[in-house]
Amino acid sequence: MRRLPVYFLLDTSGSMYGEPIQALNNALSGMVNTLRLDPHALDSVWLSIITFDREVKEVTPLTELVTFQLPEITCPQSGPTHTGKCLEFLYEKVNQDVRKGSQEQKGDWRPLLFIFTDGKPSDLKLYHEMIPKVKQLNFATIVGCAAGKSADNALLKELTDTVVHLDTADSATLKQFFKWVSDTIEQGNKSMGTSEVIVLPPPPQELNLVI
Amino acid sequence: MEETYIRQLLAANNICVTEGLQQLFAYFVTDPANKNLVNQILENQKRLMDQWALKIRLADQDMQEIVFPNATVGKPYEYRLDMAALQWEDIALLTIDGLETTGLTYDPATKGVSGIPVISGDMRLVLKYRLKKEAEDVPPHEKKIRLVVNPDPRSLWKNVPSDTTDPFWKADVACMQESLGAKQVVAASKRGRSHANNGGFREDDYLVKHWAETGWSLLAVSDGAGSAQYSREGSRLACTFIASYFDECMTAEWLATVDRLIKTYNNNLQDKATKALNSFIYETLGNGVLQTHKKIEETAARLNASLNDFHATLAFVLMKQYDFGYAIMSFSVGDGPVGLLDEKEKSVTLLNWLDVGEYGGGTRFITMPEIFSSGQFSSRFNFILMPGFSHLILMTDGIYDPKFEVEANLTRWSAWQRLIADLAGENEGRQKVTLERTAVGTEQELAAWLDFWSVGNHDDRTLMIVY
Repeated sequence: MRRLPVYFLLDTSGSMYGEPIQALNNALSGMVNTLRLDPHALDSVWLSIITFDREVKEVTPLTELVTFQLPEITCPQSGPTHTGKCLEFLYEKVNQDVRKGSQEQKGDWRPLLFIFTDGKPSDLKLYHEMIPKVKQLNFATIVGCAAGKSADNALLKELTDTVVHLDTADSATLKQFFKWVSDTIEQGNKSMGTSEVIVLPPPPQELNLVI
Repeated sequence: MEETYIRQLLAANNICVTEGLQQLFAYFVTDPANKNLVNQILENQKRLMDQWALKIRLADQDMQEIVFPNATVGKPYEYRLDMAALQWEDIALLTIDGLETTGLTYDPATKGVSGIPVISGDMRLVLKYRLKKEAEDVPPHEKKIRLVVNPDPRSLWKNVPSDTTDPFWKADVACMQESLGAKQVVAASKRGRSHANNGGFREDDYLVKHWAETGWSLLAVSDGAGSAQYSREGSRLACTFIASYFDECMTAEWLATVDRLIKTYNNNLQDKATKALNSFIYETLGNGVLQTHKKIEETAARLNASLNDFHATLAFVLMKQYDFGYAIMSFSVGDGPVGLLDEKEKSVTLLNWLDVGEYGGGTRFITMPEIFSSGQFSSRFNFILMPGFSHLILMTDGIYDPKFEVEANLTRWSAWQRLIADLAGENEGRQKVTLERTAVGTEQELAAWLDFWSVGNHDDRTLMIVY
């Protein structure tokens, strides 16, 4: 069976403490519940959640949707945003996790990557070093999400053409965003059978696609 | 004990019992009233300690994460609370509320939740318990637990009709059966669940053409790319154009030449005869493939569409029976295998190699100009002369993925034998396809067989069998 690996990189740095992290948890839970109602997703989606603040943590290793259980995402009250370190970790994980097709093994569908941040990388040098490597990983799509005023669109733009800017990281906006994420994952499923980049569904009005 | 306690109490308050006060102290500690007071204090202290230990235990219990594995509607479920592993040996009472309508029950004897779930959702269960050291009239403590019940994926697929007014509409199901002289052919093609779910079209196609007067047969199967907007028409055109090419190509001269080359090859398996036949096949079939590509390109241009909109794979076999055996020529681009089976010899000859990428979905199409300039182009053709065979099977990846899974299995007789047994009715729904010369309605049986269930495999399915 072919799997569709989906990676989430979530910023859990100090600025997310309090209401934003609560909103993120609720939105993620809504997204997973929506995905469970999609027969494609139920059959093929595998999810991984990696958080980054000062530390990079694999909260959930790549797990099939059927058995996936969403853990509570927590964050420290303060501290830097090690986005570069997170990309470095992701690079290793994708190389380990994602199966390539061979005579004896079914290849996975091209993986999807969603990166959510409300700030900018504190480890800029490593972040810049990792960008070309992550791009080599052959993701079917990379979606960057910059939430709040201090999130840096331009830096995310270096990683992917698809950057969504959320003005606030409140519950309603995040819910909208993750609904769109689940639409995108479902779209990824439908696009199976092609090696081209998937066409993203139109984002809801609350989301500003950064051109 | 009382004496020690009082001595410590006085010491703690910096009161020293001097030599002269020893006798008074001895009276004081043996006074029954004082002894009683000390005992009360000690007892209350012990009670406080016990209360604290209980609160700590309950707080621990509250913090402890309990994870019930996810369940799925319709699938038997069983999960037992491992009291030892959870360090719950001190728990006396245990019930679970919230299972009432789920189809699951809790058995206090085994501490297990089991049954077949009937509703899906994110369930909130309440675990009620009491510690052994608590009195029986203490109200039980509550702990909330999540249980995720996935829906039955089979129930989620919708069957939305395709738009019959679309200019490139095709029927969601097609099937046929025909005689090819000594052999029969049966084929069926069905829209996959993934397309039925959103009212999409069947993108696969097939075509059988038998020229009774010359004995030649063309068998073609094509799979339109999921991402290309007119791929359903691409697959139809690929089959139609290759058939019309052979219609025109089979002049009296061509027929005489190919007969002569095959007979020479049969009489004399030498390099020269092989070379002559190979180059004839390469030229004829190669030209047919190129014409097909060009005609699709012309069609796309006429419709102001891109050639990429018509992406489709193509595998075809051109076959004729001679008195010394079957001449079988083939071409393939894409990921639809063509297998030639000999049941007596328990052997399979794979007529083509598959275009599969490192990642799922990385195949090639007849509509890609680069296939013609690639060094591999000539290896897409094949020729085989077989004294006889039991089955010649063409399929799209909608069959290959669930039934063979990986390429390596295509060269294994056991995998093909399983497919033949499966067609004979060895499957979940006992769906049988009668591959006998005299049988009627085989094409309907095959179309019904195509409905088999396979997790994650919901693409269009097309299967063609010559037997």
